[in-house]
Amino acid sequence: MQPIRLTVNGDKHEVTVDPRDLLVYVIRERIGLTGTNVGCLTGDCGACTVTLDGRTAKSCSVLAVTADGSEIRTIEGLASPAGLDPVQEAFWKENGFQCGYCLPGMLLATRELLDEDPDPAEEDITRTIDGNLCRCTGYTTILRAVRTAARRAQHRDERPERP
Amino acid sequence: MKTPSATRTTFDYRAPEDLDGLADALGTARGAVSVLGGGTMLVPDISHGTAQPDTVVDLARTGLSGLRRADGEVVVGAMTTYRDLLTTAPAPVPLLRRLAAGVTGGPQIRNRGTVGGSAAFANPSSDVPAALLALRARMRLLSPDGVREVPASDFYTGPFATVRRDDEALIEITLPDPGAASFGYVKFKLSVGSWPIVTATAVAESGGGLRVAVGGAGRVPVAVMLTEPADPADPEWLAHIRERVESELDSVGTWTDELAEGTYRRRIAGTIAARSVAALRGDDERR
Amino acid sequence: MTASTPAAGIGASTRRRDGAALLTGRARYVDDYRPHGLHYAAVVRSTVAHGRIRSVDVSGAETAPGVVLVLTGEQAARHAGPIPYFISPATRGGREVDIRCLEPELVTYVGQPVAAVVARSRVEAQSAAAAVRVEYDSLPHVLDADTALLPDSPRVYPDWQDNVVFAKTYGAGDAEEALHGADVVVSGEFRIARSTTAPVEPRGYVASWDATDEALTVHGSCQNPHQLRYMLSASLGLAESAIRVVTAKIGGSFGLKMQGLPEETLVCLLSMLSRRPVKWIEDRRESLMSGAREQIHRIRVGAKADGTITGLVNRIVADAGAMTAQAGWAMCNMSASTFPSGYRVPDCRVELRLVATNKPPLSAARGFGKDAAHFVMERAVDLVARRLALDPGEVRRRNFIRAGEFPYRTATGLNIDSGDFAGLLDKAQAAIDYPAVRELQRRRREQGRPLGVGIAFELTPESSDSPGTFVSGFDTTTVRMSLTGRVTVLTGVTSPGGGNDTGIAQIVGAELGVPVEWIDVVQGDTDRCPTGFGNFSGRSMVVGGGSAALAARDVRATLRTVGARLLERDPEACEVVDGTVRSVSEPDCAVPVPEVAHAVLTRAFAAAAEVEPVLESTRAYKPGNIDHRPDELGRIQPYPTYSSCLHIAVVEVDAETGKVDVVDYAMAHDCGTMINPDLVEGQAWGAITMGIGSALTEQLVFDAGGRLVSDRFKSYLLPRAGDVPEFRLEHQVTPSPFTMHGNKGAGEAGVGGAQAAVANAVEDALAPVGACVRSLPLTPPVVLDLIEEATR
Repeated sequence: MQPIRLTVNGDKHEVTVDPRDLLVYVIRERIGLTGTNVGCLTGDCGACTVTLDGRTAKSCSVLAVTADGSEIRTIEGLASPAGLDPVQEAFWKENGFQCGYCLPGMLLATRELLDEDPDPAEEDITRTIDGNLCRCTGYTTILRAVRTAARRAQHRDERPERP
Repeated sequence: MKTPSATRTTFDYRAPEDLDGLADALGTARGAVSVLGGGTMLVPDISHGTAQPDTVVDLARTGLSGLRRADGEVVVGAMTTYRDLLTTAPAPVPLLRRLAAGVTGGPQIRNRGTVGGSAAFANPSSDVPAALLALRARMRLLSPDGVREVPASDFYTGPFATVRRDDEALIEITLPDPGAASFGYVKFKLSVGSWPIVTATAVAESGGGLRVAVGGAGRVPVAVMLTEPADPADPEWLAHIRERVESELDSVGTWTDELAEGTYRRRIAGTIAARSVAALRGDDERR
Repeated sequence: MTASTPAAGIGASTRRRDGAALLTGRARYVDDYRPHGLHYAAVVRSTVAHGRIRSVDVSGAETAPGVVLVLTGEQAARHAGPIPYFISPATRGGREVDIRCLEPELVTYVGQPVAAVVARSRVEAQSAAAAVRVEYDSLPHVLDADTALLPDSPRVYPDWQDNVVFAKTYGAGDAEEALHGADVVVSGEFRIARSTTAPVEPRGYVASWDATDEALTVHGSCQNPHQLRYMLSASLGLAESAIRVVTAKIGGSFGLKMQGLPEETLVCLLSMLSRRPVKWIEDRRESLMSGAREQIHRIRVGAKADGTITGLVNRIVADAGAMTAQAGWAMCNMSASTFPSGYRVPDCRVELRLVATNKPPLSAARGFGKDAAHFVMERAVDLVARRLALDPGEVRRRNFIRAGEFPYRTATGLNIDSGDFAGLLDKAQAAIDYPAVRELQRRRREQGRPLGVGIAFELTPESSDSPGTFVSGFDTTTVRMSLTGRVTVLTGVTSPGGGNDTGIAQIVGAELGVPVEWIDVVQGDTDRCPTGFGNFSGRSMVVGGGSAALAARDVRATLRTVGARLLERDPEACEVVDGTVRSVSEPDCAVPVPEVAHAVLTRAFAAAAEVEPVLESTRAYKPGNIDHRPDELGRIQPYPTYSSCLHIAVVEVDAETGKVDVVDYAMAHDCGTMINPDLVEGQAWGAITMGIGSALTEQLVFDAGGRLVSDRFKSYLLPRAGDVPEFRLEHQVTPSPFTMHGNKGAGEAGVGGAQAAVANAVEDALAPVGACVRSLPLTPPVVLDLIEEATR
């Protein structure tokens, strides 16, 4: 067992972990944030996605000890006190989810994409979503939601330049 | 059936912060050692009990990431992620950039998965080993005894097997600087979420000649040298490349897993190889 | 957050009520429940496909760290009886075996639960489970249904005479005679490989036994909480009143999470015996064991030279795997009775045999067997078209039941309520621009690039009411208003992820005359909701919506009466609209509903002497068009509504590798009145994608020993975003005359139609070489074999 330090959604945590412990379970069961889901434990479905030092990762494929000292953002950290993130709003508007289990991966991967490229090519949108399995929607509304979020992101970026 | 998610015993965890620390960790590690890169393969294998290391040596803090040019070579740190390959501009090895763009698993995997991890894992279905073979890469291995280099062509000994010893870690991969040499890269998968079934990489070498490496089809990646002129539209040439690739595959044995039989991989390997040459020529619009 | 009020009312695409909770990670799925003192279970599973348990050595597990209980099948049998069947094969003339939470004696598939461990942590439970040593006397096993029918086959259940679980013949008329008189007869053998539902959230249960009160609380990812409560009561010998089942937020289900699986009883028993809350969450490898479908059809179809189909004979062999108390085994019934789909084929005979093999059991799956009927029937129609060199669309048009012929009784006894199938074909062909895509096909063929167009019709009997089972065609809802005007809807139907709670709130809002924001919907809690049947067969909006409407009308009547009294108007002259009771002729003469509610509930009998102070009603609703009385051929009519749709898939085939890409896709869909079009469309797209997956890549593969080798998402390939095109979806609305709102079941349609459309498109693409598609999935090796076989 060894102590590790994690900053999760801005809050500092110090937990003692076994080297076997997966980051996803430490987040869910030790820190108590259950929005990050477990779907496969093989890194395929994306339901366990978090942002690790600014980059999305599948937290079932990260040992908690490896993440010692990291800044983590989970699905719970995406909205701000001012309201939902535009990505969340877009997924809601476009019905980009049904059961919601895949949302950690869908939302955080979309957020990362738009942070890097507010006007992503269609191919990049698909490649971003391809890391996440959704069994409910058939992806059509998810892709729409990403496009809607991108349009909103561009709109927001343009606004300061307007007279 | 293995008991699901059985992480039966715990392991020692070492996270050295430099190469000396790494050599020391490798030298003093207890029992079976697993070297941890991005974790995208090893960690699930530990979760499911298919890997049961006594010691995990984590390269995360060793600083072994990034690409650099040195003495006419490109050195790729073992912890260089697919994302690093995509975002390093200008790309010192355009082929690796192209390969990274096609890695399955979404940004989450491209952010974490490493070239060194894939190279050392030696999954016959992975893209990386064959690409390294095509690029005439050399694998730099560190152990308590020092560093040794092994050509990629000698590195792979079988499915999930390499010449790397238990007290060694792959730390860097060195490649002859490809400069502006053209390449063709084709990956064939069953679907977006599938491992590659056959990959082919064609490289026009500076001394003339065409080097085509095929992955996924054999128990280890194979490479063939083809003499010019190569004409992917010529049925005779197609028969020739098919024969050469199939002969190489027969010598190493084809690869079968739950996604595809070796016989199927062998059937399409020549086609995919020819397509990589066509892609190199820039005259194939398909895939 | 947008400030505008979302659209509401029936027919509006009101956005999901639980959106904020899901989008911010606050929604609670079963694995998110962690009661104080929680322990974890792990299941020890059979490592042989067939055998008798010789010994179970638990000594290593009992002494492992953190372990509080190790349970064998023999021990479990002392505390728990057999699990009741969700649909009993015996009541249908079939065979049954006792299904137990841990098998004590005879294992019939690799993965069958034989022992279990409870420990302090998940890792400790799993490690201890791995230390349980089970020895078996292996028996010969059989993995293939055709082989299992051979006289010398090993018998899965040794005391059975053979491996047939259930056999029945369906249909009417004289099919052989019709074939005899046909101008052409086409025939084929079609195989549908085993695939699975694979929701992203696996199954899971948290059971908490309160030894003081002798009460059991179960949180589960399950579709049918009341049935589960009954089944637990029966298997555990507890009074139903001692059990509370709460279905957590469900991360997808598609039939998998219907009841009857061993772990439901097992987790509860582990909690009772260990006197601790116990959680078990299915591992992905365990989840992938549940089969969704596996059948062989041998069909002959006769037709006249003009394409009119005159007769159909089909012999189905369905592979059950091992027996299950879940509803999955019964899907083959619907495979048989869905023939001949929406076509006029009066002479039709379908012989069905359901066969046990030493593979894991089937669990219910979206499509519920109807998918297989569509794959095969639509292949058969295409074979007729090819043989006669007719356009496949025109052959369908010629054979469709006409729009004026409804209700129409099919040869197998289904009474199709309504529809316009030719209208769907028109809409789908327009959506895909059929002439243009045929022209594209011609040009591509000139370039040697195979492109195919596949048409498939799909008829979806929905909202099943099956005699003698837990599959009932009615459901029950309570609508309750508080004195501040807040509305609580407690309904017997559940939402495994599709969001029918939003649709039900829309109906209640419209019926009650209040904004949907005032409405809370409670589902899936046996202590709070009226007895109901949960989710299956696309029933939730039909029966949940219908019963909610009836209950809401009762509450509205009370509001109107008392509101009118407060306004000093005649109730007949008042209405409840937009949260007010008002005079119809004087809209300004109005009183807010909360004020009326307050009056009803606090000034009992004063405001209106004759009105009891109850703002609550519980009502049940059952649609029409259900008839369990067998006719002269023994046929019953268990489905009130029949949704229909028409699929057109466009595929490219890489002739050198066999890879199929779906490049365009249109579906025209008719589920009658749509309560919430967004919810309907979401279901349709999801079902199509599931169908494309099972048509192209999804397949459960077993090794010779019966061990599942495609046991993770790296080897069981679900479609990802890049695998499917964006779908063109057209709606046609022919309201059902037999449901309250004219709606028909929605949610299942898409799987079989997509399988058929893709299969037909692949064959169409390969028409120049003459390949014939006979099996699913059409993986690249299979397609390459088809090409080589045809060109050989």
